[in-house]
Amino acid sequence: MEKINVLVVEDNPLEREALVEVLENNNYNITGIADNFKAALAIYLNQKDIDIVIIDIFLGEHPEGILFAETINQLEYPKKPFLFLTSSIDKELFERAKATMPFNYMVKPFNELELLFSLGKAMETFYNQNETIADNDKGAIVTPDCLYIQKGNSLKKVLLDQIIFIQVEGRYCNIITEKGKFVILISLTKVIELLDSKIFGRVSRNFIVNLQKIEEIFPNDNLIMMLGGYKVTFSDKYKSIIKKHIILK
Amino acid sequence: MLISKCSSIFFFSLCIICYAQNSKKQSKPYFFKTLKEKSQHLINDDFFDKSRSFFLNQEWDSILVHTSLLEQKVPESTEVKDYGHFFRGYGFLKKGLLSESENEFYKISKDFEFALRVIMYQGEINLMSSKYEKAIEKFKILEDKPLDLGFKRSNILFNLGLCYLHLKKFKRANKYLKKSLKLYEEKKDTTELVGAYAYLGSLYYEQYKDDIAIPYFQRAYDLAKNVDDFTLKRDAAKNMAIVEENRKDLVAALLYRKEYEQWKDSLNDQNKIWQTAQFEKKFAIAQKEKEVNVLKAENRAQVAERNTILYAAIGLFLLLIVISFFYRKNIKSKKTISLQNEKLDALNTTKDRLFSIVSHDLRSSVNTLKLSNKKLLANLEAENFDGVHQLLLKNSALVGGAYNLLDNLLNWALLQTKQAYFEIKELQLFFAVEHVAFNYLPLIKEKEIHFENKVPKSVKALADKESLKIILRNILDNAIKFSESNDSIKIYTQEAKEDRINIVIEDTGLGMDEETRLRLLRAKVSTVNERKHKNIIGSGLGLQLCKSMIQKNKGEFLIESELGRGTKMIVSLPKSPD
Repeated sequence: MEKINVLVVEDNPLEREALVEVLENNNYNITGIADNFKAALAIYLNQKDIDIVIIDIFLGEHPEGILFAETINQLEYPKKPFLFLTSSIDKELFERAKATMPFNYMVKPFNELELLFSLGKAMETFYNQNETIADNDKGAIVTPDCLYIQKGNSLKKVLLDQIIFIQVEGRYCNIITEKGKFVILISLTKVIELLDSKIFGRVSRNFIVNLQKIEEIFPNDNLIMMLGGYKVTFSDKYKSIIKKHIILK
Repeated sequence: MLISKCSSIFFFSLCIICYAQNSKKQSKPYFFKTLKEKSQHLINDDFFDKSRSFFLNQEWDSILVHTSLLEQKVPESTEVKDYGHFFRGYGFLKKGLLSESENEFYKISKDFEFALRVIMYQGEINLMSSKYEKAIEKFKILEDKPLDLGFKRSNILFNLGLCYLHLKKFKRANKYLKKSLKLYEEKKDTTELVGAYAYLGSLYYEQYKDDIAIPYFQRAYDLAKNVDDFTLKRDAAKNMAIVEENRKDLVAALLYRKEYEQWKDSLNDQNKIWQTAQFEKKFAIAQKEKEVNVLKAENRAQVAERNTILYAAIGLFLLLIVISFFYRKNIKSKKTISLQNEKLDALNTTKDRLFSIVSHDLRSSVNTLKLSNKKLLANLEAENFDGVHQLLLKNSALVGGAYNLLDNLLNWALLQTKQAYFEIKELQLFFAVEHVAFNYLPLIKEKEIHFENKVPKSVKALADKESLKIILRNILDNAIKFSESNDSIKIYTQEAKEDRINIVIEDTGLGMDEETRLRLLRAKVSTVNERKHKNIIGSGLGLQLCKSMIQKNKGEFLIESELGRGTKMIVSLPKSPD
């Protein structure tokens, strides 16, 4: 499991400090800090692994935060979720901020709980998978690269290519990775729908394997040897997929 | 001789009158009836029909005008032409234009239905224009003809006699007059008899046969007494006067002359009366006309007056409308002004109230903090860390309270000026409660209060996030303030009527009496002031802010409380439609 990379755009040192502290205490990784529009844009374009951006609307005297949001909305660059921080609930400013389609906003002062909840909500909104992580501590957001999962109050990230296989047990899924295993609350059909079928293949009623993590297949025994020494049995129904995969390989 | 000639002129005129009366009284209706019957077959001719109707109605002028077209027209038959000339001639005769009349009568053909009558008229015209020979010619033709046309043989004989008399052929005159006299006597036609006697008298008088003449005059005079005609009476009296004068019987002559004068006067009187009547009639007509004119003028005046009144009324009405319009506008603006005044007053009171809150509550907390900080420094110098810790805890509580107060003030101001962003969205109430409560967890722990958020995660309501947080924060703040150690605070939701969801913040704290409860629900910012619990900071502003914000969220606010047992604050919000 990886930490979530957060870009913090905030000019007030005290508030920035408090924000960073809260995030770090909750196992977020601060991948960059900017106190103005230019610096923020530079970090945004250089850092490839940003998961979410927190933007203060007022940078200095002007609402440069909104300008930043407007700019990244215009860019031909993989979009990242962002949320606004503001100490003002001025109507005009809010309307302008809203026009940039932020994935969430927070009114200062906010407490730890609100911040974490808002981050989760922003992710849900951005990936259009509502009520997956913010509401329950076993939920997950499935993206083309990774799974975002709720671990306690904070978010964690699991890269998809670290997953060896997924075992379904009722409403829950056991995710087995190279670094460990965990349980998420997600239905099998949804998982299959969201995962790339070229990488993940269903081998039986309960098992989905990462096709790239297959070490060896024993067709006679209906057995697949996975990376890390895991053994997975496959049913005849899904044999064809395995065969196809082998041929392709 | 001169005198007698003079008298004969009188008789001549008398004769014409006789004749005219005769034709008017008797022969006309009969003749008209005959003419109508005999000409019935020509009725299809428009020209004829019109002429005849004028003729029958004796409208002589109309006939003359109408038949003047006769020459220009080519009448369809000689009969119609003859009738035309006849009507025209008759008309001229009646108007006294003798030569024109004679002309017309000459144009009539011999085959005309009423040819004999035409001849008679010609004879009469000749007689009247003193062409006695010609007249005799005409009358001679008629002498032996059968007379069924409504004129009398006696008249013709009389006229013949008259002609001969004028020609001084006394013998013949005597013969015809005697004949006619005989006929008149047979018919007992007194009027005609007077004329006949008078003429016979003058016949003999002209021949100086006074002895024969005088009895005739006498008879004429006697008969005239029984006649109504003043002219006859006058002429008879005059004749007698002349005769007596010539006989040198001057006394009798004078008597007759007097009678003559009397009759003349009567005649004049009659004429005068008639003239007077005519004049009166004219005068009456003029009077009537005047009256009519006056009435007309009056009418016009009335109409004018009525119009004037009408215009005035319309004008006044319009004026009234305009006035009432402006009056209403004025009243409206006055109302608006007074409303605005009230509003301003309310706002002013609110502002004063807020100032007093700021100046009192905030000042006192800051002042306490200031003093506390001095103490803190002293403690630090004395290295009394326990004391420092206690003071810091106290200070942070003070600052927290002051901050909340400030925040409420700010939010109140924003709410009043409507500058705050406000967006009603679907909210998960559990998280809202959780996030608000998070800030109070240390305080709750310190006061040893049991807190529970029992709102299910699935419950959602429609509200503006920030204002809901302010509402919940203030209510929770109050609940904590009025709770003591070991009290418990529970937050949960209830389904309510009409798609509403109730958020209940229930505490087992101090509670309040009914009066306070009602005052809190009723009160406005400007009126909430008194403090029941002196050791508890509170201005009432928080709750009033809650009420306003709940209202803005289309929600309702309820308080259930019992003194000493606790309070339930209920916020009722619209449920999100699932």
